[in-house]
Amino acid sequence: MTRAEAVALVLSLLADEDIVVAADGAITREAFRAHDRQRTFYMLGSMGQVASIALGLAMTRLERVVALDGDGNLLMGLGGLAMVGGLKPPNLYHLVLDNGCYATTGGQPALSRQVDLADVAAGAGYRWARRCFDAQHVREAMEAWLGAGGPALLDVAIGAGDPDPAPRVPLTPERMAERVRAALASD
Amino acid sequence: MSPSRRLDALRACGIEFVAGVPCSYLKRFFAGCLEMPPTAFLPAVREDHAVAACVGAWLGGRRALAAMQNSGLGYCLEVLTSLHLIYGVPLPLVVSDRGAPGDYEEHLVLGQRTRGLLELFGIPWREARHGDEEADAAWVVSTAEEQRRPAALLVGKEADS
Repeated sequence: MTRAEAVALVLSLLADEDIVVAADGAITREAFRAHDRQRTFYMLGSMGQVASIALGLAMTRLERVVALDGDGNLLMGLGGLAMVGGLKPPNLYHLVLDNGCYATTGGQPALSRQVDLADVAAGAGYRWARRCFDAQHVREAMEAWLGAGGPALLDVAIGAGDPDPAPRVPLTPERMAERVRAALASD
Repeated sequence: MSPSRRLDALRACGIEFVAGVPCSYLKRFFAGCLEMPPTAFLPAVREDHAVAACVGAWLGGRRALAAMQNSGLGYCLEVLTSLHLIYGVPLPLVVSDRGAPGDYEEHLVLGQRTRGLLELFGIPWREARHGDEEADAAWVVSTAEEQRRPAALLVGKEADS
């Protein structure tokens, strides 16, 4: 499964009111290309902070907050995972698109092949944490993840290659933030 | 421990969410935070995660503040520069002011450069004073919101009120 397929699949399974935090780098660009939505926050930098931003949203909102993370990104900010596991926001759903490397910077290997991120999440206190490295079962794994009680983490294997990289998101960062804030303020 | 006049003043200015890592100079302030509702105070494990969580809370519609020791500003720099300062996110900060002459060695290098560090990244700062809690709070909240950027109150040991 490619990153593009995994991102398109998860976005197709979400409800309109769900709030998404898309990890800086290829994931944010892919999320914009697959399905731009007012309630998606596109990160440009601050690698390692996907779970922390999602946690701030989950603590202040009733809607489901879906963090679209990468394996290298999550490894950089494991403290954020500890905060989610410790505080247990029931509306936080954490998806790791795991290609085992730093694809954006040239494919250098990450330690996610040695560190089982679902085990780490379970140890930190997530109520549900699974790994799905079998492309045939990703859809049912995502459905189980979204149906579980949160906080829930699903670690999904994706291919390391990037045959058709998505372009940068054509919005200013100020606009990216204002759009999400306005969409949430209109409730 | 009596209530934190500093935290109460900030809440009176509209602060509804606090994330932070404790400092011994901010004992009274953090004691007040622990009395806040569980969805209003995030006990962060490191300062960069605290300021990132404040962005999430702000996107969600809450006025958020981060509190930390000045040593934690080092951890925050990547997030402040590639999140708050480019997305235009207001962030009042309560930062302890360690590193005065006579403080322990581990506080001196960053402590003696805290003001310079904030100025280098265009973050306005003000020294908090015991007795001025309401004016301090009004300054840090209004400066952050008007300039759409972080602004810092530097809190010395005697200003943990």
